[in-house]
Amino acid sequence: MTRDSSERSGADFFEIRFESIGGLGAHVAGKIVAGAAVLRMNMNGAHFSSYGSEKKGSVVRSFIRLAPADRSIRTSAPIEEPDVIVVFHSGLLAHPATLSGLKAGGTLIFAGQEGDIPEGLQRTPKSAKVIRVDAQKIAFEEKSRENAVLIGALAEAVPELDRDAVLQALEATFAGKSAAVVASNDRAFNRGADEAEIIEDVGQVDGDVPTMQSHPAWGYMSAPLGGVLPTPGNTAHNDLHTSRTGWMPVLDRDKCIDCGMCDMVCPDLCLVWSTHVDADGKPGVMLDGVDYQYCKGCMRCVETCSTGAMTREAEIPGMADDLRVPLFPDLAVTAGGKHA
Amino acid sequence: MLDQARAITAGPARQVHDFKSGNEAAALAARDIGFHVMGYFPITPSTEVAETLSKMQADGEHDIVMIPADGEHGAAGICYGAALGGGRVLNATSSQGLLYALEQLPVQSGTRVPMVLNISTRTVSGPLDIRCDHSDIYFVLNAGWVILMARDPQAAYDLNFCAIRIGEHMDVRLPVIVAYDGFLTSHQKRRIDRFDDPEAVKAFLGEREDPYTALDPEHPVTFGPYMNDPDLINNKVQQHEAMEAARRVIPEVFAEFAELSGRDYRTVDAYHMDDAEVALVLLNSAAENAKEVADRFRDEGKKVGVVSPNVLRPFPTDEIRRLLKNVRAVVVGDRGDSYGAEGGNLSLEVRAALQQDPDNKTLVMSRVYGLGGKDFYDADAEEFFREALTAAETGKVEVPFEYHGAYAGDDAAGPPPGLPPITKEEVSRGMATVTPNPETNKLEVELKPLWEMTTTPSRVAPGHGACPGCGFFPMLRQAYNVLEGHVVVLFQTGCAMVTTTGYPKTAHRITYIHNLFQNGAATMSGLVEMYHERVRRGEIPAAPEGEDITFIMVTGDGGMDIGMGAALGTANRNHKMIILEYDNQGYMNTGSQLSYSTPFGHRTSTSEVGATLSGKRFHHKDTPQIFAACNLPYVFTASEGYAEDFMRKMSKAQWYAQREGMVYGKVYSFCPLNWRTEDNAAQEVLQAAIDCCFFPLYEVEQGSTHITYDPDAIGRRRPVADWLGMMGKTKHILAPEHADQLEMTEQEIDKRWRKLKVKSEHPEL
Repeated sequence: MTRDSSERSGADFFEIRFESIGGLGAHVAGKIVAGAAVLRMNMNGAHFSSYGSEKKGSVVRSFIRLAPADRSIRTSAPIEEPDVIVVFHSGLLAHPATLSGLKAGGTLIFAGQEGDIPEGLQRTPKSAKVIRVDAQKIAFEEKSRENAVLIGALAEAVPELDRDAVLQALEATFAGKSAAVVASNDRAFNRGADEAEIIEDVGQVDGDVPTMQSHPAWGYMSAPLGGVLPTPGNTAHNDLHTSRTGWMPVLDRDKCIDCGMCDMVCPDLCLVWSTHVDADGKPGVMLDGVDYQYCKGCMRCVETCSTGAMTREAEIPGMADDLRVPLFPDLAVTAGGKHA
Repeated sequence: MLDQARAITAGPARQVHDFKSGNEAAALAARDIGFHVMGYFPITPSTEVAETLSKMQADGEHDIVMIPADGEHGAAGICYGAALGGGRVLNATSSQGLLYALEQLPVQSGTRVPMVLNISTRTVSGPLDIRCDHSDIYFVLNAGWVILMARDPQAAYDLNFCAIRIGEHMDVRLPVIVAYDGFLTSHQKRRIDRFDDPEAVKAFLGEREDPYTALDPEHPVTFGPYMNDPDLINNKVQQHEAMEAARRVIPEVFAEFAELSGRDYRTVDAYHMDDAEVALVLLNSAAENAKEVADRFRDEGKKVGVVSPNVLRPFPTDEIRRLLKNVRAVVVGDRGDSYGAEGGNLSLEVRAALQQDPDNKTLVMSRVYGLGGKDFYDADAEEFFREALTAAETGKVEVPFEYHGAYAGDDAAGPPPGLPPITKEEVSRGMATVTPNPETNKLEVELKPLWEMTTTPSRVAPGHGACPGCGFFPMLRQAYNVLEGHVVVLFQTGCAMVTTTGYPKTAHRITYIHNLFQNGAATMSGLVEMYHERVRRGEIPAAPEGEDITFIMVTGDGGMDIGMGAALGTANRNHKMIILEYDNQGYMNTGSQLSYSTPFGHRTSTSEVGATLSGKRFHHKDTPQIFAACNLPYVFTASEGYAEDFMRKMSKAQWYAQREGMVYGKVYSFCPLNWRTEDNAAQEVLQAAIDCCFFPLYEVEQGSTHITYDPDAIGRRRPVADWLGMMGKTKHILAPEHADQLEMTEQEIDKRWRKLKVKSEHPEL
């Protein structure tokens, strides 16, 4: 294979990056697609993910590097300038890093509800193909998972991939499971492939999306010695709303008796209480609501509520911002990704 | 251009393509080799070797005896003992695990007992970082083990076969390490070729032969005598000679392996080195990245090459010297520093190798790069090549040693500020009132209603990174509701540590310390004694009685396996502190491996379920009874699902830790991810575990046992099957073919419960 030295790194690779949240199955999806390419499409390939410890709800990137069968793959570095980006949660489009390096003429596939055109899509190249698929709805209806839907959309959208081979690889991961399980994942995959919609005229970027260069908050001249953090509780600045996967607990004040049970079981420490003095002079507390900046949507508060005041509701865009009660009103962060 | 490490012609053994990560490749090699015994303890990123083997074993693919140790030190001991018995032995570890095992390594090499240790390389603490560099492997350079470096998953597979032959060779008789890059190789799937030819593999490996074994009573031998100065140096000469023999044996074994597989390894991998004028010397995956970049420089007519040892011990001095003989400038990259030596170990050894050639004029630059998993991109390799090219042109080295890729920082930047500290008054609100009863010699507790506790400022902030539904935080919130005054916590390594302190942020609003989970209890005991001594010396103001700082060591159940020794030592010394264990029945931080607290039959990633394996094979550890046997003033069990019961116990714990000594508490804590339940299933699952008497709620106060919730007495006792049916990790136990397992579980639970009731009823127990 000849190489043109003017070509940039990896120009002879076909590279796909998944942007996701732990628990949505991006790593497994990457394994299925890359495995299909290597074992069923006679390509060479590599697959890996970047993740910290094994936690649900944190950002996960998964990388697929493909090449012709006779091209050795030696680099193990993350993919910086992908041909394709698949975004597993539309909330991630609020972060510029999500689309970092997407090539002109590349493809962006994102999980989003019908009509959802997040602002972040402006950061795609004008020449890119932008595709939306309602992975959550299809997965729910077919009793499958978002990842099956998204790799269906990917296998259909990208000519480098053989849709049948990817579907077979998906089926192989359910070997030993019931025929019904295989069938529901097949349907999710095929609906992802067939129902994905092309969104026209959203990208605003000429050429490639620049790769994001980010620096840590501190460097060796500024960080306190020994890794000490003299910043107690500064995780309060984190915004974890993308950890929710379509559902949120909602408080009905009229039914709440302020018993405090939900506060004993909330792992995210995001229930907001205030004190007051009753008409008869007794001190009391009141549950004002939920700070959705931190709520990961586990529904333990709903499960423990004896009066039905906390209920599980489908989260529609903007709802968390409207209902949010801030726990630390002075912090300059809002829920729901508005601050992006 | 062909990669010189590996020809593409296939050997005579039948092989198939596969798509595997480095860890999976090492596990496949282990299966194909058919080791007798594996002793291991999970540590990221090597854990997947044992996990993959557990899955394979569940499906009947191999019969390696897999022994889950209590820690890496124990694992190394298991492996040593097993290897003394003359069979083939495997271990896999990383980072701190390797360091914890370290003292066993020279024992094994010095007594000349072969085995294979896979190391998925990872930086060493602290601060804790789970990603790749070579600081761990640099610690074992002096351990007397042969060290093979595997640059990709294929090499991780192949070199395990070679390791058997090299270590067992009669002229060598040494244990062998196969080291591959954590995550970069351990978790990166690549196309590999693996054997599909057991006969050919068997013929290559041969049978292990040992001059002496500990399992031959007709020929008694003494292993490990007491040996002092007249003799030890002679033993070390023998060890030195074994390494020298390995220099000769390794190429022979590689050549035989090439015949078998078609993959030809050299002692040193040399890329474009025939006419290279400048070169990079790098270990493992970074060298592969550099080859891509070298190709581009070659296209520009620049004579660059890449040198990468496949063998680190014995260090291939002659080959390095020969390869670099005509190279004008070289950058040696070290993924680990030898602080104060002006170069990492690879640099120092390359420099030493060149120094032996009086005619050598190669300019050498040392660069420390890629620490703690910092990626090595093409741009980094380009910069190294350019530095080497500049030195070659100018004939001088401007900067002999520096760190590459570090960031100085920006004074105007920094992480977000912390929340205001919580004052002592804000958290001394009398949510629990503790009163000693002189008649019973026990404490009585009165709690405020739950609603009143809701406005207690939380000593832990939101924004932590735990999974949805995590049971640890409700537990911590409940504990903090009733604790008065200043609290200092130490978290041992685990989920709670990782999810609360992702740099540069911390969820802790009070002083927090992390130490590795071998040693948290001991560390906290040292701090406790320093506090009291500094108070005694008047350096820290004394607090009124009952208002000293409360010291709490927080651990998972995993930390009470590997850290049991330090915890029992701390208990026996009876320091004024609390050990609070959140028991979620597994090593959940690393992906749900079995802990000794995992109940019998439960599925974890190292106790898989299949046709030939059905979950964990021994019963759960009765940790509270172990601490009760230390005669502590107070030991308790609790559940985060019984907030009031737990908070009562926690307020007693503070009272005792202020005045009398150590308290141990075990709190049953929900983990939806690895119990395989819905995120909101905590209440029903915890309740069922308590009602079936699997997890009795009780306390041992001043030596006297008291059950605080007795499901028999209130008619709420339920079958164990009710509980097991609620979790994905246990459903299999209810299948008819596992009826015996269910029965054994019921019997064990019932036996322990009856014993506990007897203790509870007897005034002296």
